[in-house]
Amino acid sequence: MSYLSLSNITKQFGDTVVVDDFSLDVEKGEFVSFLGPSGCGKTTTLRMVAGFEMPTAGRITLDGADITEKAPNQRNVGMIFQSYALFPNMTVAQNIGFGLGVRKEPKEMISQRVEEMISLINLENHANKYPYQLSGGQQQRVSLARALAIHPQVLLLDEPLSALDAKIRVSLRAEIRAIQKKLGITAIFVTHDQEEALSISDRIVVMNAGLMEQVGTPFEIYNFPQTQFVANFVGSLNTANAEVSDPVKGLLNVDGVQFITASDIKSRKKGDAIRVSVRPERFSFAFEEKKENVLDCTIENITFLGSVVRIQVKIGEAKFNMDTFNNPFLDLPKIGSKEQVTCSREAVLVLDE
Amino acid sequence: MSFLSRLRRVPFWSWIWFLVGALYFILPLFATFEFSLTWDPAIPFKAYQRSFADNKFWETFIYSNVLAVATIIFSIVLIVPTAYWIRLRLPQARRIVEFITLMPFVVPAIILVFGLIRIYSTPFSIPFTDIVFMQPLTNFKAGTNILIVSGYMVLAMPYMYRSVDTGMRTVDIRTLTEAAQSLGANWFVIISRVILPNIRSALLSGALLTFAIVVGEVTLASFLGVNAFGPYLFLLGQHRAYEPAALSFFSFLLTWLAMGLIQLVSGGQGQAAGAH
Ligand SMILES: Nc1ncnc2c1ncn2[C@@H]1O[C@H](COP(=O)(O)OP(=O)(O)OP(=O)(O)O)[C@@H](O)[C@H]1O
Ligand SMILES: [Mg+2]
Repeated sequence: MSYLSLSNITKQFGDTVVVDDFSLDVEKGEFVSFLGPSGCGKTTTLRMVAGFEMPTAGRITLDGADITEKAPNQRNVGMIFQSYALFPNMTVAQNIGFGLGVRKEPKEMISQRVEEMISLINLENHANKYPYQLSGGQQQRVSLARALAIHPQVLLLDEPLSALDAKIRVSLRAEIRAIQKKLGITAIFVTHDQEEALSISDRIVVMNAGLMEQVGTPFEIYNFPQTQFVANFVGSLNTANAEVSDPVKGLLNVDGVQFITASDIKSRKKGDAIRVSVRPERFSFAFEEKKENVLDCTIENITFLGSVVRIQVKIGEAKFNMDTFNNPFLDLPKIGSKEQVTCSREAVLVLDE
Repeated sequence: MSFLSRLRRVPFWSWIWFLVGALYFILPLFATFEFSLTWDPAIPFKAYQRSFADNKFWETFIYSNVLAVATIIFSIVLIVPTAYWIRLRLPQARRIVEFITLMPFVVPAIILVFGLIRIYSTPFSIPFTDIVFMQPLTNFKAGTNILIVSGYMVLAMPYMYRSVDTGMRTVDIRTLTEAAQSLGANWFVIISRVILPNIRSALLSGALLTFAIVVGEVTLASFLGVNAFGPYLFLLGQHRAYEPAALSFFSFLLTWLAMGLIQLVSGGQGQAAGAH
């Protein structure tokens, strides 16, 4: 049995189902992210693990014990909030020591642990400051230390980086991940930022409208999205309607242009309508000898995005984005010119309905 | 952080408005003070000497202060958890509770006191029997004290509730509560160590207003027949000219001094709560 397990969790507020039959097993020391758009139920699911909400149905077990009905202060769970939630009347050291004080740990033990935590988050010179004297990034690190001080069994983070500016967000997420690995602590991290989820997680749970869309490693989620929603939400993506023309050979007809796919479509019939997706970076100009998916196209638009250049091409009647890495010697085609682009058959993904 | 550097952070216009407000309160007070000195040009503080020499003054003044402290303590015990629970779990009850707390503005104190007397001057008996298990509250001293403190709690409720509620709005009570809960804190710890310290300045202003109301209150005190400072001052005012002015000024000064002391004692780190 896995360390933390949510089985068939459903949560309703009145008649609205906010989380629907959610099941997840998390191993000890694993870092799992909940990724999804606003309102999809990420926070609600996290709050059920923390004990702030009670599931309408389903069980939650932690290290073999059923905690579904336990009060939040009886669970040994660390929680990090977007708004830091530090106690304004306490210093950094007092904040970090709060949980241990509540547990009536001996004084020396508390001050030793507080010191340990302060050096873990590199705030040695700030121990006696009040939260309002710290920057947002520092405050969030204190809140991390405060949660970790009590040796929680699970660390829950609800969009902990959303209130910070871009630079700090990237450095702090690396710091969080490093600390989590070092301590081997089990963590659930809620975010609606796909880059964040992809960079930090062992596994990602993509959620949509209370439902689990796909669970997998960042690599799987990005490269093999199983549903239209995941494909769209994670990374930028081309999707197009297609018609099966030969299920055995994997031939598809996309708006009059023939594509070949490596996805298994043997269960489909000739003439079936399906949806396919291709990541923009999987396309390239067909300079070398290529045998498959060499497609005539017209250049529609070119956009600089910093390190990549996004080229919009029209293949038959369908429009696709193609990304190539930027470099000063890049020889870009003219808008309106006719070119050939290509992608491998593995790049053409068939999405579930 | 030093007091001065904290002062410097307050913007210019805040100071202007503060001064305007302060003048509004201080001018009448100053006029009273000046009048109290004019009794005998040879002995400027004659009115004060006379007043302080009167035992009845000390008796009633101390008694009223004790009543005020009791009212403040019981009000906090009643109102802090109530306002907290409404913010946390029962936001839909806010309108009703706000309406209830406004009642003292709608129902005059005289009606309140007649209601209290009417209800609590009859013995408590088990319904439909003659078995009396408690004498009327108005018949013994402790009972009267309970009645008057309860009455004052009602009068102070609008101020106390509003101060506390506003104080809770400025800190994110709900998230702080959840943070404390996840760290293992129970309700008692949360209220005493997280909520109360963070609404300290709100409590203080609520307490100050309650103090001001109770120490000068006349209606409830005279109809319940207690020897409070309000009726004493009232009586004095009907017969004397200078002493009441002196005493009003003195009681004001004392109240403000007490509040300043509380602020000083509880201050210091308390500033952390407001600064964000
Ligand atoms: N206490 C509540 N009562 C009623 N509805 C609620 C309550 N809490 C959340 N909801 C609803 O549940 C849905 C999911 O909310 P939740 O906070 O879990 O979303 P989320 O995925 O965390 O979104 P975000 O990214 O915006 O934080 C929303 O539609 C929200 O309106
Ligand atoms: Mg959320």
